[in-house]
Amino acid sequence: MSALRGAVEQNNEFASYVFHTQGVCPPEIHFRLSGEDTVHQVRFVGGGCPGNALLVARLVDGKPMNAIVEYLSGIECRNDTSCPDQLARAFAAVKKGDLQPAATFKVAEDAVSRARVCFIGNLDGNLEVLTALLHAVKYEHVHAVYGIGNLTGLSEQNDNVVSMINKHKIQAIAGQLDWQYAQGKEAAPVAPLSLKNRDILLRLPQVLVFQIGDQKGMAFYGRYIQDLPGYSDFAPFALEMNMVCDLTRFMKDESVFPALEAMTPQFSVRLVVFSESGEWKHHDVGGVMFLGIGSAYENGFINWGILENTADGLKYQVRKTRFSPE
Amino acid sequence: MAESVKALPNKIQELIEIREWDMRTRKGVDRFRELKARSLPSVALDGTLVYESLIPGQEELIAEIERRYRAKNP
Repeated sequence: MSALRGAVEQNNEFASYVFHTQGVCPPEIHFRLSGEDTVHQVRFVGGGCPGNALLVARLVDGKPMNAIVEYLSGIECRNDTSCPDQLARAFAAVKKGDLQPAATFKVAEDAVSRARVCFIGNLDGNLEVLTALLHAVKYEHVHAVYGIGNLTGLSEQNDNVVSMINKHKIQAIAGQLDWQYAQGKEAAPVAPLSLKNRDILLRLPQVLVFQIGDQKGMAFYGRYIQDLPGYSDFAPFALEMNMVCDLTRFMKDESVFPALEAMTPQFSVRLVVFSESGEWKHHDVGGVMFLGIGSAYENGFINWGILENTADGLKYQVRKTRFSPE
Repeated sequence: MAESVKALPNKIQELIEIREWDMRTRKGVDRFRELKARSLPSVALDGTLVYESLIPGQEELIAEIERRYRAKNP
């Protein structure tokens, strides 16, 4: 049996599924089911033959799951299976109840407890800035670099930025534009991403959970997560996101901090990091550290945040260095 | 806070309609911001924020409800 993960998205019209394949090139198959079992939006994610995958996706779109399984199952390409065969197995897993609808948003966890990490955000598809940032961060002796979206922007360099993020194994989450581009919905003047990089964006989580010393933290981009189909106010980390996005308007409205302080005992983390506001911010409220990750490049400077576990507790600094784009 | 309101005597309960908002939800937060509240717990009467950060004594709350009821039903 393939590894199955109930990831997210469920509303009254669609249930979304993520199937972890075995023996084929794409590691994941994403699809949606509506009504009883009508198939929609099949995506073979992370590899494989793009043309054939697209053909299969188009042929099955809008068809009842039961009616197409016989045409998909048993086809061999490699390792006694194939992409269509894996799709058939995914449908079988749904029917058996082994594959549950995925969650609205993906949560990833950095399994290693870190002592010193770097936050970068709002790269906006700027390859020069990313290159300069990675050079500067090299001297910071950090144990991990977390990219808090948007990696992409209204830029022709998006492909290169995504490739570099992937190459340097930066643990990134998807910002609003990253998510939009992952769906193939680039803004008008921007060239479409390569299929490979689109898949990289599609597989990015919306929430990153991490640990600094003995403090657990979560990072997310912003409000777009609340608009994903099936978002629940009671999902893990929804409380933290609702408080940042809606109650405090990204920590800009300090008048409601007393209310925030009353809510933090219900938080599941002691560190909350966000980046939609594009401003570098640091607030300690109710025993929780809130960090706003600003723009990677601003007014002739590149910027990044360093969070360190020290003997005196957590220490946070925003660093900057002058940078002149060519 | 909701408990203190729900614990009001029946004769007062008959005069009012109680709505409780869950601050964990976006609807609850929206209502909180509409009322221009800043802290919790908060109680609004007739759509106006009256008590913030404190739970009024039952006598005080009853008196305020009755005052408002009389004003609307002279």
